[in-house]
Amino acid sequence: MTAINRREFLKRAGAGAALAACPGLHVAAAPGPFDDYRALVCVFLFGGNDSFNMLVPVSDAEYGVYAASRQNLAIPQADLLPIQPLAADGVDYGLHPSMPEVQTLFDSGRAAFVTNVGPLIRPVTKAGFQAGSAVLPPQLFSHNDQQDQWHSLKGRSQTATGWAGRIADLIRLEVSGQQLATNASLFGNTLFQSAGETVAYVMGPQGPVPFEGFGDSGIFLEQRRAFERIIGAEYGSVYERGFAEVQQRAVAAADRVSGAIASAPELATAFPASQLGEQLATVARLIAVRDELAMERQIFFVATGGFDTHDDQAQLQPGLLAGVSQAVSAFHAATVELGVADSVTTFTQSDFGRTLTSNGDGTDHGWGGIQLVVGDGVRGRELYGDYPLLEIDGPRDVGGGRIIPSLSADQYAATLARWFGIPDGDLAQVAPHLDNFAERDLGFLL
Amino acid sequence: MIDDNSRRQATGLRAALLLGASLALTACGGGSSGGGSEPPPTPPPPTVSETEAYRFLNQATFGATEAAADAVVANGIEAWIDRQMNAPASLQLPYLRSLPPPDFPGQLQADRVDVWFRNAVDGEDQLRQRVAFALSQIMVVSQLGALDGAPWALADYYDTLAEHAFGNFRDLMEAVTLHPAMGIYLSMLGNQKPNPALNIRPDENYARELMQLFTIGLVELNADGTVQTDASGQPIPTYDQSVIEGFAHVYTGWHFSGAPSFGEARITPFNQTRPMELYEAFHDTGPKKLLAGVTLPAGQSGEQDLRAALDNVFEHPNVGPFIATRLIERLVTSNPSPAYVRRVAETFNDNGAGVRGDLGAVVRAILLDPEARPDDALDTEGKLKEPLLRLTQLWRAYDARSESGAFPFGFAYILLGQGPLQSPSVFNFYSPFYAPPGEIRDRGLVAPELQIATEYQNTLVTNLMLAQAFVNHSENPDLDPDDVYIDIAEEVALADDAQALVDRVAEKLLAGEISPLLADEAVGMVERIPAGDPIARAAEAIYLVASSPEYAYQR
Repeated sequence: MTAINRREFLKRAGAGAALAACPGLHVAAAPGPFDDYRALVCVFLFGGNDSFNMLVPVSDAEYGVYAASRQNLAIPQADLLPIQPLAADGVDYGLHPSMPEVQTLFDSGRAAFVTNVGPLIRPVTKAGFQAGSAVLPPQLFSHNDQQDQWHSLKGRSQTATGWAGRIADLIRLEVSGQQLATNASLFGNTLFQSAGETVAYVMGPQGPVPFEGFGDSGIFLEQRRAFERIIGAEYGSVYERGFAEVQQRAVAAADRVSGAIASAPELATAFPASQLGEQLATVARLIAVRDELAMERQIFFVATGGFDTHDDQAQLQPGLLAGVSQAVSAFHAATVELGVADSVTTFTQSDFGRTLTSNGDGTDHGWGGIQLVVGDGVRGRELYGDYPLLEIDGPRDVGGGRIIPSLSADQYAATLARWFGIPDGDLAQVAPHLDNFAERDLGFLL
Repeated sequence: MIDDNSRRQATGLRAALLLGASLALTACGGGSSGGGSEPPPTPPPPTVSETEAYRFLNQATFGATEAAADAVVANGIEAWIDRQMNAPASLQLPYLRSLPPPDFPGQLQADRVDVWFRNAVDGEDQLRQRVAFALSQIMVVSQLGALDGAPWALADYYDTLAEHAFGNFRDLMEAVTLHPAMGIYLSMLGNQKPNPALNIRPDENYARELMQLFTIGLVELNADGTVQTDASGQPIPTYDQSVIEGFAHVYTGWHFSGAPSFGEARITPFNQTRPMELYEAFHDTGPKKLLAGVTLPAGQSGEQDLRAALDNVFEHPNVGPFIATRLIERLVTSNPSPAYVRRVAETFNDNGAGVRGDLGAVVRAILLDPEARPDDALDTEGKLKEPLLRLTQLWRAYDARSESGAFPFGFAYILLGQGPLQSPSVFNFYSPFYAPPGEIRDRGLVAPELQIATEYQNTLVTNLMLAQAFVNHSENPDLDPDDVYIDIAEEVALADDAQALVDRVAEKLLAGEISPLLADEAVGMVERIPAGDPIARAAEAIYLVASSPEYAYQR
């Protein structure tokens, strides 16, 4: 059954009426223009990934600068895993030794890096920063503020929506037949997916859990109906109303999604037994049942923490990066198994890069960093953006080895949004500062 | 993060729940006699109604009970607060120290959560424990991360919060700053002076978060907690990177106490509960830029620098409105009026005897303010109850206990989305600025607790209420010694009268303020269950009330 046929089928079957009673799911008559399936999977690395230790220059001159800056936190030159970009910039690069899976993905053209990207409102020079004339995102170097910048691209505005949320709003009429919200999080509520018109659905790391004691017949059905009437009642306070709305979405979606997942065939791909591996395995299972749920466009949010390596970075970073490498690689293999590798793009975000200087055994909060993009829709085996010279007091260091980004998170998001199906004219609604930058599309997606 | 043992426990509970719930719904339990309550003696003319006493107690304790409400009605709110403020603190560390070596690593963290619940559910010092819990969500340290192996440090940290709950905020700042739990969590422990040759500069972690999260926040505030803006309408930052670097230099030279040297300091079961010690040779002696244009002179000792720096933060005019807002949010309402914040902040600034930072006076001001329990019902009053508080209120109202005395809920953070000192990061379980899309955001309001009231967490908590009502109760003969059960004998005795049963549950959990719709639905469902199964009837009434939006609301 094609997606369109399924949508028609569901409409006839009365799914529309069921959806109408379900806040957070979109109801509209018009069938969408999408004739394919696409998914974006955001892997958020909470705490601020020290990505200048993830992708490192290997050529002697540049490595020497890196090693002089990083001192006891430098990865030994001989340990770096070499990668072979198609277009050389005259410098050789290597990956952190704990990321052989990403090395394989990169060299086979399934992965790319976007180098030195971060929250910006307009391009920033070091001179402008030092003179105080640069227009900057507020509260640089603060965790939650910079997470919010990545999630929302709000710059200096008071915007309370995220860029994935705004994408979902833009396409809500086109995907009105979907049985589940465009945005789904496996890691709690997130500003990234917060929207004006649509509501993200939050499930557990293994998917939704059913309400115990609810059933399809007898007392168990009565139980469910009574519960639904209670949570569907009018309430006198904003808190009860907000709580009841979540309960309504939970009851409405839990059975449908759990049922669909339960019906999916077991994946042959093995996932690592990690927090990220567990979430990405669930995302793979949800993608496997995309037709059953009439899904055409999905944005998943998964995440893991521990990247705020103020202490013991040399001991902690190998495990952190290995966790990303193994989970992302397994997920890519699952999309190959499901035949959707060119329809699913996985990308990282993180609070900020970290200082090139150390505080003895760790690093502090920086700014620009490097992000990883994976999928068969990626123009892989490339570095996008200029890899900065990792020099203390160098041309892009604003102090302590905090590197001014060359590319903006807006450009990064807009490139992903365009691939997802947002027309050029709407990209400014996703990435509000896009017009301040020359490149509207960084080119890392087909 | 989520260890296997906790997952096993959580999964096991779900399995038990599935099995037990269906059994309870189908099997007929034997009747059991409920304890008849005698009519209370005629009280003196009440200045506080039973309903107001309940509202107050849900702000000031881990859950209103009829006995506590009677005491408040009899003596008045102020007398109750006076007595509570003089009650000694129920502590965690002595309990942990009394335990034999654990069977498996991590057991002591479960024991720490166990004693937290013991104190929360049964402690006599309810107000102190509730304020300590609020403080633990402002000055956050967490088991999830580097402190997983330091259960004694966490227990002692919580005790520190409890002991300072009604003390002076400046003393609390210093106790928190020098506590090894905080030292480990925000990496001030082992932080040392710069070594430019190796590109080493002081760690900025604690410097940043003490200001951003514990004391003044990111932007200049007015005395009523509203944000000051500049000529172009932008908020005014309270500090810049150079100030953070100044404080980072202040917090150098501190490590575990009693070590042979800075370089040889290692954690032990005992130094993790003693204040950090200064190792002067590792303290930076240069000048240090602080807030308000102050620069500490070069050459001061580490102790001098620390005291001066904490004084510098403490004197910042933001601290009053910042702490007032955070504590009001934890205890009373998510959306206090600026006037309410101002009144509490003024008490912080001066307790009436010229003292700044008197937390006892601040707590009193919060709870006695006219806006704490106003007569005119605005739809923004109150707050959503945190999941932990929904559980503890149920347990207190229904005299919950286990035969072993334990509350084995070490996995609270998985099941409830929050647990004592189990935050996912220093940013607590939820942001104070969280506003879900829709009405709350559109009206410029916030509802922090709704951030963790996701579809997923709400389902888990609802299922927990079901398990508690249908399986873990006093009439179930098949419980394990560690199963926490509620006493439903009184409800079972009322079960042949559905209306009386629901009314009684509503009295215990909602001070009788149940909506007609919820009462009707509960009565209807109770009546669907055969009268010969009084246990299931009692369980049904408790489940529907305890999982309802109105129970989740702290009015």
